[in-house]
Amino acid sequence: MSEITSLVKVEHLVKKFPVSAGLFKTSKSFIHAVDDISFEIDSGSSLGLVGESGCGKTTTGKLLTRLYDPTSGLIEINDPRAGRVDLASLKGQALKDFRGRVQIIFQDPYESLNPRRTIFDTVSEPLVVQGLGNITQREEQVATLLETVGLTPASSFLFRYPHELSGGQRQRVAIARALVVNPSFVVADEPTSMLDVSIRIGVMQLMMELANEMDVSYLYITHDLAVARYMCQRIAVMYIGKIIEKAATEELLSHPLHPYTRALISAVPVPDPEFQRQAIPIKGGVSAPIDPPDQCRFYSRCPLADSFCRNNPHPPLEDKGGGHFVACYKV
Amino acid sequence: MTDLMLQVKDLTMHYKTSKGEVSAVNNVSFVVEKGQSLGLVGESGCGKTSIAFSLLRLLPDNAEIKGGDIILDGANITDMDKKQLLKVRWKGISMVFQAAMNALNPIFTVGEQIVEAIQVHNPEINVAEAKNNVTDLFTLVGLDPKLMDRYPHEFSGGMRQRAVIAMALACHPKLIIADEPTTALDVIVQDRILSQLKEIQDRLDMSMIYISHDIAVIAEVSDRIGVMYAGRMAELAKANEIFKRPIHPYTYALMSAFPSIKGPKKSLTTLPGEPPDLLNPPSGCRFHPRCPRATVQCRQETPPFIEHSPGHFAACWHPMEVENE
Amino acid sequence: MQTTTTQPIIIVPLWRVRLRLAWKSFKANWKLFVHNPIGVIGLVIILIFALMAISHPILMKYVWEPRVYDPVIGYDTEIFVHPSPPSARHLLGTDPLGRDILSQLLYGTRFSFILGISSALISVVIATTIGAVSAYYGGVVDMIFMRLADVITMLPFIAILVVLSALWEFTGFTLALVYGLLVGFGGQTIVIKSQALSIKVKPYIESARASGGGDWHIILTHMLPNLLPISFLFMMFTVTNAVFAEAALSFFGLLNIRMSWGIMINTAQAAGYLLAGSEYLYLLLPAGMAITLLCSAFYMVGRAMDEIVNPRLRER
Repeated sequence: MSEITSLVKVEHLVKKFPVSAGLFKTSKSFIHAVDDISFEIDSGSSLGLVGESGCGKTTTGKLLTRLYDPTSGLIEINDPRAGRVDLASLKGQALKDFRGRVQIIFQDPYESLNPRRTIFDTVSEPLVVQGLGNITQREEQVATLLETVGLTPASSFLFRYPHELSGGQRQRVAIARALVVNPSFVVADEPTSMLDVSIRIGVMQLMMELANEMDVSYLYITHDLAVARYMCQRIAVMYIGKIIEKAATEELLSHPLHPYTRALISAVPVPDPEFQRQAIPIKGGVSAPIDPPDQCRFYSRCPLADSFCRNNPHPPLEDKGGGHFVACYKV
Repeated sequence: MTDLMLQVKDLTMHYKTSKGEVSAVNNVSFVVEKGQSLGLVGESGCGKTSIAFSLLRLLPDNAEIKGGDIILDGANITDMDKKQLLKVRWKGISMVFQAAMNALNPIFTVGEQIVEAIQVHNPEINVAEAKNNVTDLFTLVGLDPKLMDRYPHEFSGGMRQRAVIAMALACHPKLIIADEPTTALDVIVQDRILSQLKEIQDRLDMSMIYISHDIAVIAEVSDRIGVMYAGRMAELAKANEIFKRPIHPYTYALMSAFPSIKGPKKSLTTLPGEPPDLLNPPSGCRFHPRCPRATVQCRQETPPFIEHSPGHFAACWHPMEVENE
Repeated sequence: MQTTTTQPIIIVPLWRVRLRLAWKSFKANWKLFVHNPIGVIGLVIILIFALMAISHPILMKYVWEPRVYDPVIGYDTEIFVHPSPPSARHLLGTDPLGRDILSQLLYGTRFSFILGISSALISVVIATTIGAVSAYYGGVVDMIFMRLADVITMLPFIAILVVLSALWEFTGFTLALVYGLLVGFGGQTIVIKSQALSIKVKPYIESARASGGGDWHIILTHMLPNLLPISFLFMMFTVTNAVFAEAALSFFGLLNIRMSWGIMINTAQAAGYLLAGSEYLYLLLPAGMAITLLCSAFYMVGRAMDEIVNPRLRER
């Protein structure tokens, strides 16, 4: 087996948003959207980032594409062509050049394409912006890619408008746009959750095939553990800005260690009427991460929490064996 | 046969649009027994929400029920006029709407809105009594009655959903239709709402129609399941039968298209094509363009919705015989 | 899955494709537009006025005697008393200074069109640019322009114009410029900015940024094309208001314009014929009706376009 290198290494990534205090006053409160997270994605493999709404997974995805600038931390991309680069520290022209290495696919197929631009314009935009190829080369590349994502014949799709396409087709266009600059890494933010069930699998399978063929890794953001299981080799679970567990997919699903992960897994409905699902009850709801106290984020809801948990800072992620990391004092 | 709460026979409903008539619901028949829950599952455009609106007769102006009968607890409500319907709505059938966030008026407190619902259908009840009812309802759905005087924006997503459920229960309906009540909610909140609904249903001995595109949720909530496709009912049977012995190829495809976190990681099969445009639906069986078992007959003749085994209905010329997995 | 296609993809020159697409979408919008009788009526009226405007120079050159029919300096010596009611020589009569009213009307049409359209263009270019920039950059830039717009909206329009006209000599051109500036920096910018804001948060903008698109690329390629429909809509309403504003100012005698519909009414008023009774209605009716009709026509076209631009208003 060839050496598995880490394609993406995120270390101590932090993103804080000021709670708006007005135009001229500086904020004293911050939303800790992403609060010191670290993870790795190997080349040829995909990481699922799972969590409920507000946990920071979408913000993480945007940080990795520099749609947000990190407050602090390292985002190292080990690109076969460009070498090791810290994406978090790039600025200006260097940043623009690097934009071609990491792309993003969004959740909403109806809003992620400009309704007034043709499919060709949309998919070729990354090429235009990066200054790659002349018009003929671009046309050919776009057409080829459209066929690759299943929109055949390409010539009949090139000059259509988004409103003439279905949701599944639009999402395929979004995938084509993400891949047209041959990125090494793509952030996929819930790309199938707004699609019909019978269409979803097709798009997911397409993404997996493309991962192999075009040597792309995904950060697959989703709230749906079943989808993450299908698409990813490893899963990281986020809760209020922190990663509280990460492990290989099957290991995480069969032996979840963190109480939140266990509650989450127990709450997922199972498509089997005979299965008696026992949901692990946890009290309360998710709170907004504004100036959280330096304590385990899950403390207020955790069935295992005690005074030790109350008096100590948020537990660090520790390897409990075999690459299965958990952030919990009680495990 | 036990008592039937709802009988729907050959319901057909069209929307008139500037581009033509959309055949949204076509010859749909099913029953719901008292105290039972029926799950309607299907993709976008399959007609499940249209059926719900037709049952409540809450249709927009350009919609028309072209045929069929709706019999609620023995009374045929299909041709009732507005005045008669007012007595049926909310007391006979009520609905928990999709996107509950939008079902609540932001400028009134939640308590006021439920009181209004109560008083509209029961003019003889005064405000104080209605408020008492609201307190009971809140307790029933797991909300703190003190929250009655708060505004919707002060509620979280899950709490708003509970409030909308409370509103639907306000007049103690015999049948409640829940249209994707947990779609926008996180999985842990969804789990709580689902178990709450089940508990309420048991306690009040209420019948329920649960509409969703999520097979897993439908599996957990329903006694019987109706699979809808392109405005028609493809299959109707006990929940177990639908999952273990699906007859209609679409049902089978749907089961195979759902990843699950339990059990072995099975490979999923794609269903080619897209759900059809109901302005010009396919001839004969509407599923034939995507069906691996389709023949000329499927294209030419609409298969009848018949009983293949006791209590198990399907509309297919070439039903599948699947071994128990 | 195949990654290469076997046959070469022949693509016609891009500009020709775009032309074909533009024509297709124009036809589709036209179909929607004619659905609405109001829009069609408005458009017909505008076309009639356009014909009137074109006809004036032709008539002056080939049909009419300039000495008699010039709208500003003509004088008919063969009629003793001016103003004179409509007659065979003067289809709409002559004004107190002996000039042919029909000629004035046609000349004024051309003037109104030019004034209206240039005001509209100026205001829309300003409002769209500023709206897009404000929405995109936010912060101080946004605040400055929005407060400016608030101030302008607060002040009564006609009063501002009156004051300004007292400070500077207002020709038609100046009026168009000032009016365009006021409207452009005023209320229109707020509406367009809010539209631009709703575009700014769309995922396709983020995609463009993730691909490496710079600020101007995004504003020009994504925001402006999506703002153009609403800008165009505003243009229609601005024409209406500009024509009316000119009429009002001319009526007050504040403009240094040779001839316009407003001047026609002003002339009648200055000579004391405004409330002189029904026999002198021919002095007021042509200009008054022209102003009303043209303004209404543009408004009607605007309303009909609103249904195309704003799909929620369309009937099912």
